[in-house]
Amino acid sequence: MRIRGQISIKGIVQGVGFRPFVFKTAHELGIQGTVRNLGSEVLVLAQGTNFETFVHCLSQGTPLSRIDSVTVTDSDEPVPAGFVILMSAEGSLSGFIPADVATCDDCIRDIFTPGGRYEGYWATSCVNCGPRYSIICGLPYDRERTRMDEFPMCGACEDEYTDPASRRHHAQTIACATCGPKLSLLRTDGTSVPGDPLHTAASLLDNGAVVAIRGLGGFHIACTAEATGRLKGTLGRPEQPLAVMATKEEIERVAIISETERKCLTGPSHPIVVLVKKDREALKGISKLHTLGCMLPYTALHHLLFRYLSQPMLVMTSANPPGYPMITNTHEACERLKGHVDYILTHNRVIQNRCDDSVVRDGKILRLSRGLAPKRERRDLGNACILGIGPELNANISIYKEGYCITSPHVGNVRNPATLAYLQETVERTACLLGAKYDVIAHDLHPQFLSTRYAHELAEETGATLMPVQHHKAHIAAATTSPCIGIAIDGVGYGEDGTVWGGEIFAGAVPDLTRVGHLEPVMMPGGDLATRYPERMLYGILPKEETAALLRARGWDATALGVLEKQVERRFNVTITSSTGRILDAAAALLGVCRERTFDGEPAQVLETTAVTGTPTLWDREFTQENERTILSTSSLLREAFSRMKNERPADIAASFQQTLATGIAEIAVMAAEEKGYKKVALSGGVAYNHAIESTIRKTIVASGNEYILNTNYPLGDGCISYGQCVWAGTTLKQVRK
Amino acid sequence: MKVNLMHGAGGAVFSELLGETLTKYTHNNAGGIGLEALDDGAVIPFGGQNLVFTTDSHVVKPLFFPGGDIGRIAVSGTVNDLAMMGARPIALSCAMIIEEGFDIDVLKKIVASMDEALGECGAAIVTGDTKVLERGAIDGIAINTAGVGVAEKPVRDCSLVPGDVIIVSGTIGDHGMAIMTHREGFDLGEQIRSDVAPLWPLVEAALAAGDIHAMKDPTRGGFSNAINEMAEKSGVQVRIKEESLPIRRSVKSASDLLGINPLDVANEGKVVMGVAPEDADAILAAIRSHPLGKDAAIIGVVKEGTSVILETSIGGERFIEAPIGDPVPRVC
Ligand SMILES: [Fe+3]
Ligand SMILES: [Mg+2]
Ligand SMILES: [Zn+2]
Ligand SMILES: [Zn+2]
Repeated sequence: MRIRGQISIKGIVQGVGFRPFVFKTAHELGIQGTVRNLGSEVLVLAQGTNFETFVHCLSQGTPLSRIDSVTVTDSDEPVPAGFVILMSAEGSLSGFIPADVATCDDCIRDIFTPGGRYEGYWATSCVNCGPRYSIICGLPYDRERTRMDEFPMCGACEDEYTDPASRRHHAQTIACATCGPKLSLLRTDGTSVPGDPLHTAASLLDNGAVVAIRGLGGFHIACTAEATGRLKGTLGRPEQPLAVMATKEEIERVAIISETERKCLTGPSHPIVVLVKKDREALKGISKLHTLGCMLPYTALHHLLFRYLSQPMLVMTSANPPGYPMITNTHEACERLKGHVDYILTHNRVIQNRCDDSVVRDGKILRLSRGLAPKRERRDLGNACILGIGPELNANISIYKEGYCITSPHVGNVRNPATLAYLQETVERTACLLGAKYDVIAHDLHPQFLSTRYAHELAEETGATLMPVQHHKAHIAAATTSPCIGIAIDGVGYGEDGTVWGGEIFAGAVPDLTRVGHLEPVMMPGGDLATRYPERMLYGILPKEETAALLRARGWDATALGVLEKQVERRFNVTITSSTGRILDAAAALLGVCRERTFDGEPAQVLETTAVTGTPTLWDREFTQENERTILSTSSLLREAFSRMKNERPADIAASFQQTLATGIAEIAVMAAEEKGYKKVALSGGVAYNHAIESTIRKTIVASGNEYILNTNYPLGDGCISYGQCVWAGTTLKQVRK
Repeated sequence: MKVNLMHGAGGAVFSELLGETLTKYTHNNAGGIGLEALDDGAVIPFGGQNLVFTTDSHVVKPLFFPGGDIGRIAVSGTVNDLAMMGARPIALSCAMIIEEGFDIDVLKKIVASMDEALGECGAAIVTGDTKVLERGAIDGIAINTAGVGVAEKPVRDCSLVPGDVIIVSGTIGDHGMAIMTHREGFDLGEQIRSDVAPLWPLVEAALAAGDIHAMKDPTRGGFSNAINEMAEKSGVQVRIKEESLPIRRSVKSASDLLGINPLDVANEGKVVMGVAPEDADAILAAIRSHPLGKDAAIIGVVKEGTSVILETSIGGERFIEAPIGDPVPRVC
């Protein structure tokens, strides 16, 4: 029986209370030795009769840790009398950047314990919770490499920090009202409002004020449900659904919550969970959809604020124009939110790394961000270090290095200088934290994407090799590398034939995917203009007099309609697309439920909401063959919908349309699987968030006896592209080497 | 690889062809500014003077359009390239390649139109050449003109400096939009007319009014291409205010209906310039006093940095990018 040795534990072992856990376990088992942080691993030197039990206990880890490997080797190093936590050493930085963690139940108890050391303190945290990524400047994760370094511990905090029996033993974020960061409530001219910031903010909010609140990874703008109209007006986003933060009881009251959703809501990351409203007509001012994004208070500040508020719910939206990075610093908040908010509740702890709220729906990640990212995936993609620079919209970045792929939090729509700068910053910071020097930069095939341009600049600067990856193939690569049929359904992506893809079925194994089917290529009159005005898309697909008559009846200007007709007839500035999103847009336009897109995915989302109360019937599907590809006719589908408008409810048509489209797509996949001899079908792309469409595809695939693959560890939308690009590049390089 | 139509559309794809093939001359400079500068024209110091030399070939469909015709473009294009270098146009050559069966009356109209344009800027066509090709070898007519001029002080397109003020001499996108809507037969209610005109008199007045650091005519690839080239070559950032950009209502509405960015389409009678801030008002006034410059406006400033940024009226920012061939949808 072994009684001494060196134990190396690799995995997510930083910022998760691992060293204190080792210490505590050693004490309990009478083990002598040391523990130290090496960046991506924890190294334990141990000696004692319970050595093997000790190793077993360590491999169980803490609630937040994830252990990849535990190896025990011989060691002659002298062991101290007790058990000691040593200073961190710089290890290889191949590992892990800890994500922010929602305030734990113990800390919540602390802030509400009368007379306790943490009573009412807004930044209370412990080894199990608190800010991590948002304050981290370097690895390994220790206080001196975080923004907490600016707040030297007071005696009482120091005592807890060094007390092995304390929950804050080696808690890097430990702080109290005496020594820690402080809150203030400001007017937008920067002057402070007298009184206790939290109490005052709560009563202002209760009275209808719009308040910017500095959270973990950036500013929110908050107000009560009644004040939503004012908030939306000032943001200029009247149609966009906003998320809410509310007490558990209030969320229970307004939304249907499944067991999985409850777990997700209350889990360590506390994301926004998109829930189905109990009453579809309720809270329409916040979300006109049948769903509502809900989150629980996730910092001590939020918990205290909700204690002082008389309202159980606040509308909470990121403080930024859509597609722009969230505001993180107080000065900028005062400047940019002037005229939009009444007050600013802020603190003096620097947000080192911006991090938006994560969004989850139906167990699918809509936005990979706070608490979930930086996300680390253990995966062998070869020896090269790869940067996946992502697409253009809903972008993030991924870096692969030595067996791990790290994906950054949500960056946004890389269409403006501010977000491009944020993308660049994210690349630089992540590479620096990981000590990554990439050999390969994988980027989207789209020649005009700003991320593509940036990839070219970076390659020139660093000498890295560029590898363009077709958008939808990256979607499949993010889902699986097994031989399979891959379905990618989304808005638009640049296709290999220069047209715009978005309803694609591939066969093969990454990186050898063949396009075996797709939706019918249809016209997008005016390119992106047809995305903004879905009725243009409708006319592009059904360029008939009856369509024109419908638009005329809806009040289309005669000149505009004449130009549209001419544009389609002459194919002038008309793009050809097989996008699924645009077909859904056209259906929404046909039913008259969405005529202008004012936020990402609006027409398709409104269509989904319309369909919820409908009873679907499966219409006929029409397939054609071209160059050995199977094509689903979407124009005939839309024609069918058109013909039913006289006699059927929009809800039923919407439901049937979605079901028929989804069935048709799945049928192409099933046929291809049979023909090519594959047994698996993978699905990716933003349209897969549509509950009805995804479940129809799933049922059809499963009923055909195929295995169904949906990678719910990453977003299904474009938040998986940077990861898919890394997988694609790594797999390609491996194949080349063979 | 073969030349394709994208190569002719200007922008990034064209630049590639240019860089890899069409500028590979080792004999490319006659002592002043040569081909290597890829400016609007070459400068040849001669007898104590700066000769400026440039050439341009012109094809356009249709030959006659609202506001102009191929003849007016053929003269204006070359005269404007000279003017952009700060040169008074002196003499032009004219080479015509004509398809068998071309109507002589049409040819007469073209020549008369060229003559009128020459009169507007005080230049002359002093030499020429004519080739006739068999039917189908060319589509109607192509006209090449070359021109010489003299510049007191040549103006480059690569010498913007931080602090400069950006002025445009009038409304943007008129020519491209006029050609497109006329050619495709779009009925927009209000007809858009091309701005094609020789700019020397306007430029001459501007030069006399103050210090112009850089000039370019936003022809192929439009304002987007011109301003990006100026910023890139000068190694600066340009910030443009969206609400200051002069765009005709008819052009704006055509753009809204067709999904074409007016900043990306050609102009044939406009100049974009960067001027010393203290001279900006005087230069603007001088330009406005000329009939072609009555819509002139200060539209932006030059900063340190890179790229061209549009400050939108709602407080956002966007890049103005040089168009590469056709726009490809990118909104997901
Ligand atoms: Fe996508
Ligand atoms: Mg020229
Ligand atoms: Zn805690
Ligand atoms: Zn303290």
